[in-house]
Amino acid sequence: MTLAELRRTSAANLCVECGKCSTLCPLAAVADYSASRVAAIRDPEAELLRQAGAVQRCLTCALCEIRCPQGVRFSDFVRGLRPDIPAELRHPCPHGEALQAAARLMARGDEIDRDLSWLDDGLRVADEGELALFVGCLPLFDVIFEEELGLRSLDIARAAIRLLNRLDIEPVLVHDERCCGHDLLWSGDREGFEALAAANAQAFQTKGVQRILTTCAECCRTWRLDYPGVTDGYRPQVQHLAEFVAEKLDAGELEATGESDGTVTYHDPCRLGRQLEIFEAPRRLLRETADERFVEMEHSGADALCCGSPGFVRCDAASRALQVERLGGAAAAGADRMLTACPKCLIHFTCTQSEDRRLGRQMPPVEVEDLTVFAADRLTPRIQGEAQ
Amino acid sequence: MTVAWENASLLARSLQSGPLTLHAVPPAPCTQACPAGINVKAYVSLIAEGRFSEALEVVRERCPLPGICGRICHHPCETACLRGDLDEPIAIRALKRFIADVELDIADPPAAILPERPESVAVVGAGPAGITAAYDLARAGYPVTVFESEPEPGGMLRYGIADYRLPTDVLDHEIEVIRRAGVQFRTDCRIGREMTLTELLEGGYSAVLLTVGAQFGRGLRLTDEECPEIQDALSFLRRVNRGEREPLGGRVVVIGGGSTAVEAARTALRLFARSVEIVYRRHWKEMPASAEEVEMARQEGVNVRYLRSPVRAEIENGRLRGLTCLDVALGEPDASGRRRPIPIPGTESLIEADLVLLAVGQEADLSFLPDDTRERLERRDRLSAEPATLMTKLHGVFAAGDVVTGPATVIDAIAAGHRAAQSIVRFLTTGDSDPDQQARAPEPPTEYGLPDTPAEHAERMAPPIERPVAGREFTETELAFSPELALTEAQRCLRCGPCSECRICASSCGRRHIWLRLPGEGTDEPVLQLIRAPSSTALALESEVAAGHLLDGEGFRSIELIPARVRMVEELCRGCARCVEVCGFDAILFVHPGDPESKVQVDPALCRGCNLCLAACPTDAVLPDLPTTSPAELLPRGDREAATPKEGPTVLVACRQRAAELGPRLEQLGGEAVPLWLRCAGEVDAGTLLDLYERGAQRIVLAGCATDHCRYGRGTRLAAVQAARAQTILRLLGADHERIVTDWPPTEEQPVTLAAGTGGAA
Repeated sequence: MTLAELRRTSAANLCVECGKCSTLCPLAAVADYSASRVAAIRDPEAELLRQAGAVQRCLTCALCEIRCPQGVRFSDFVRGLRPDIPAELRHPCPHGEALQAAARLMARGDEIDRDLSWLDDGLRVADEGELALFVGCLPLFDVIFEEELGLRSLDIARAAIRLLNRLDIEPVLVHDERCCGHDLLWSGDREGFEALAAANAQAFQTKGVQRILTTCAECCRTWRLDYPGVTDGYRPQVQHLAEFVAEKLDAGELEATGESDGTVTYHDPCRLGRQLEIFEAPRRLLRETADERFVEMEHSGADALCCGSPGFVRCDAASRALQVERLGGAAAAGADRMLTACPKCLIHFTCTQSEDRRLGRQMPPVEVEDLTVFAADRLTPRIQGEAQ
Repeated sequence: MTVAWENASLLARSLQSGPLTLHAVPPAPCTQACPAGINVKAYVSLIAEGRFSEALEVVRERCPLPGICGRICHHPCETACLRGDLDEPIAIRALKRFIADVELDIADPPAAILPERPESVAVVGAGPAGITAAYDLARAGYPVTVFESEPEPGGMLRYGIADYRLPTDVLDHEIEVIRRAGVQFRTDCRIGREMTLTELLEGGYSAVLLTVGAQFGRGLRLTDEECPEIQDALSFLRRVNRGEREPLGGRVVVIGGGSTAVEAARTALRLFARSVEIVYRRHWKEMPASAEEVEMARQEGVNVRYLRSPVRAEIENGRLRGLTCLDVALGEPDASGRRRPIPIPGTESLIEADLVLLAVGQEADLSFLPDDTRERLERRDRLSAEPATLMTKLHGVFAAGDVVTGPATVIDAIAAGHRAAQSIVRFLTTGDSDPDQQARAPEPPTEYGLPDTPAEHAERMAPPIERPVAGREFTETELAFSPELALTEAQRCLRCGPCSECRICASSCGRRHIWLRLPGEGTDEPVLQLIRAPSSTALALESEVAAGHLLDGEGFRSIELIPARVRMVEELCRGCARCVEVCGFDAILFVHPGDPESKVQVDPALCRGCNLCLAACPTDAVLPDLPTTSPAELLPRGDREAATPKEGPTVLVACRQRAAELGPRLEQLGGEAVPLWLRCAGEVDAGTLLDLYERGAQRIVLAGCATDHCRYGRGTRLAAVQAARAQTILRLLGADHERIVTDWPPTEEQPVTLAAGTGGAA
């Protein structure tokens, strides 16, 4: 894509230089970062953006886009510029780049045969069928973060399957499922992303899957917004599990059980919130389970602050500052627990909490938990009335 | 000799295969050209840095007479200087004089050396060859006595060259430095008169070196009559330099074309000769005197007549009237390579003269030798010595310099002195004098080209010249560079070759990037070698040497290590200038000086690879220019579309520290194995291992040090964690996790265990 095309498709050519975006940028608030978005139109080669490090440092959280009078999608614009960033300028992930390398490996076209030994006894899955669960990178996360943070991301997948089993649904787990490609796409490797998208589409289509549930905001966004155009001919319905659950609640097939413990708040992942505009479904779920003990933070919904490190693209002191600020926002709202619908947000917040605890810093007294796990513990089919 | 290591794995291999076989990068042209082996590039580089006394130390390593060479050397270095192809050669001689004069001004000669060897050495003749040899021997720890027939040491330097070219105080200073190095001088002591050679040999000297020179002016038969107005130029110079400066007044004709002729002519001019002419039978191109000297003489008023051959002196009433000369044509080249002069009959002409000075050749005066000895040692008026060892037919008696070669230049005499000293040291330490073992074919000079990035034109600085003025005729003509001029001139140097060899790095690097072993121990010749290697390799080498595994015995050559230079990643540079501040070599400059947002760049010609900037840079913009360390460079990605990835090589991911011992591992892993060196295996992350897998590596062998030997403490454990992660991820995806194997050396502590299956070492 040429720069001119990129400007057109991301609407950057419509910018009127009002500057609202720059005042909203969360990164600018905590770091020496002044992505002059204005420069995007005025500078023919986007050189200023590149030189200022704006291309690689942008969070792509899209907060700047909510007030843009012209509808410029700055995050898309930046993503389009990223393939040109030299490799040495891409800030390596502090967790050893293993996830990126694994994604590249999956993009290579080798036979993939996922190890499903993590499935606990009693969890029922299918090999073929209409509804599938896209597990994503959760097993890989555990290789790293279970040891480093004590975080078991696979519990999210286990919770999702348990909840579906309770509804008598045996979700399909596709053996040769690959990474959705979100991180490659957002770090500038479009070629790798397309290879993953094509392989996934083929794998899921082969199993007769019509409907895909994800527990990850980024997988959800990628399947819904980025696969079309690459995977022509296969258009499954893709939903975040929260949406699926909200539907079941509306249909009266699920109900909350037990007492809710403590006050909760919800962190909108930018991929699910601003980018897919899924604001209501997770809240529907929380109102059902937490009832009146669900509170909103000052910045919520479309105005939500970013977790600081979308797509593992970068992590630095600014990311830490954003995470601490977000946790502080949850505490200020009076929440004991902050839920999120994205395993990566969960990792980043947990990471900051554990690191800052290690350093002896006082962290806001807020637990972070995944929405799917929270829901699975508290929802039960209405008909059976079976308690946990 | 400089040796550049481009590839650490090559190093690893050669370390295993006995003595190093090194790819030698030859010295710069100037250094190659110096007969005395002075590292010219090094001292010019040091002058360019303003490090004058260190520059003088470099000169002194190979030349005890810097002030003298700086004045009268015929500078083959300048002739070889590559800058001459660009504009004009560096004024190397004048630079050397400058640093010698700086020392003269501050009067801080090197400290005295105490003799520590039992064998003492006698040197006969305190000319440049003799005192150079004496200086070398004294520095090697031998008590040395130099016998000199004249009242002061210096030989031709003192009595053949006048003060206007070489002031006595300069010579005195340099003799003083040599004295302080432990050399004893016995002047007014002529061997053959006050003492005999036999007495010397029986008097407790373990070796004798004859460097008596060739100070006997050869005659030219111009008349049968007795004629006091025809004199030998050397005797004339000797008289003048002893202080007999009587005015001449008349017309002086000097016959000859060598340095002595020009010297005599210029001296005569200073003694108020009415006119001075040099008569030379060949063309100016064939003149042995340097063009510079001749030009100076002409500028001072000496008239040079070429292609004239004097046939007889015209004497009237017992007084010299002049010389009858024949014109000369040049024929075929003779033994000296110069065209033979052929007088043309019938072209007689008269050159009027009141005094004729003959400078047509010099001979050695061998009358000091006992007759029977002289018969054994003499060959055609010279001493005969074995070319390789410089030993004469008398056991323990060596000869060097003009007395062996015939008249030559100062720098040749210094070179001969070095060789003699070396040979004597070998003789005294090993008793070895078998020339076969010592004959060493001189390495052919190597061609260098101009650097890839040609320097801009820069005018050669010339030292100021003062014309002789009345009353100060013998004051020095050529003056010294000012420090500013010296810096400007030295900075013109192109520094041919990979390193300036100034060795500042060795003394200034406190972080053990550098390892240096000085020549002299076990070496036949003090050859300096440089290996370019990263610090950890340097350390590995050092321990190898300490353990005696390397560089002993015949293959020994001294080695110096210089670390990799740095490069700047422009996009990461924030122009904070911390690197500029720490750089001791002014190698880092702003791209746009004056612009507050300017980034910096590294001048590779100035960077010495100390890597201080690397430590100072807050944004990691400075990288060492090392061999490949990234999977991307090692295994470039093929076509992603390809159904099955190409089977790649085995990759050995290992600590550089272990480079030496991993050489054979690389061999075992097969010819295809490629190494990916890291500072420490602990640097590796799962991503790199997966990346290598993804790029087609057939097998990835992770080889760190033993856990209890990690320089970084936890390197092996960190690497084990990352290896386990990479293996687990591969297993989860159904890929071949056994391709990643670890290969740790046995450890005294508990062994490192991996969570996932560890492949055995192949």
